[in-house]
Amino acid sequence: MNPLRLPATLDALEEIGNYVIEAARQAGLDQKASYALRLAVDEIATNVITHGYEEAGTKGDITIVGEITDAALTVTLTDQGVPFDPLSHRLPEEDDLALPLEERQIGGLGIMLVINGVDAFSYRYENGSNLNVFAMNRRSFP
Amino acid sequence: MAFDAQLKMTGPVAKITLTGSLDAASAPQFKEVIEQAAAQTPEKVVLFMEKLDFLASAGLRVLIFAKQKMGAGVDIYVVGSQGPVLGTLEMSGFHHSVYIQDSWAEA
Repeated sequence: MNPLRLPATLDALEEIGNYVIEAARQAGLDQKASYALRLAVDEIATNVITHGYEEAGTKGDITIVGEITDAALTVTLTDQGVPFDPLSHRLPEEDDLALPLEERQIGGLGIMLVINGVDAFSYRYENGSNLNVFAMNRRSFP
Repeated sequence: MAFDAQLKMTGPVAKITLTGSLDAASAPQFKEVIEQAAAQTPEKVVLFMEKLDFLASAGLRVLIFAKQKMGAGVDIYVVGSQGPVLGTLEMSGFHHSVYIQDSWAEA
């Protein structure tokens, strides 16, 4: 699939969601898998937009690309914002203390929705870019 | 689908009908409607979710906000949520904080 590159603002979430739905359709994922993938990507994209750029006071783009193989649909989100590992919960101390209790719980909740929903998720920081990679297994046809 | 939240007061009951996708982009709009409902000091809040096709954690955060804003004595009902949306609510433990129902009957 062709990559989609957008300014990393909350307005991008709708187009990102549509891209994932289309990728899931092309890969033949069922409704439940398609929804889970869309949710996972939305959660991470939201983190990129709010933590990676907005809170840092910078602007940039976010890129999404889907790749379909026999085995799986893989969706990769790339951005050049602040290095942010969603799996780490390593927030700077002052920020952590400043967050109300509900915020902290919800932060973990969003990540839980990601991990529980998709078949594989990984994060890495490479050459100045955050890469968030989601994979959903395709159903094997007899 | 574009998000919408419509508030209607029926006596002391605040009814909010949600449509479309609720995530970080649309959550502020939902929060504003919750504030409007809270200003009416309702005894109950009913969220109709039959037409809500997507719910992300930003939407869950507004539900927590609603619970705090309305106060401990105000029960919140979630009516008609569809499969994956209901799944998210249950996975997140919200069935402990709000009443999840298939339908709403006027008392």
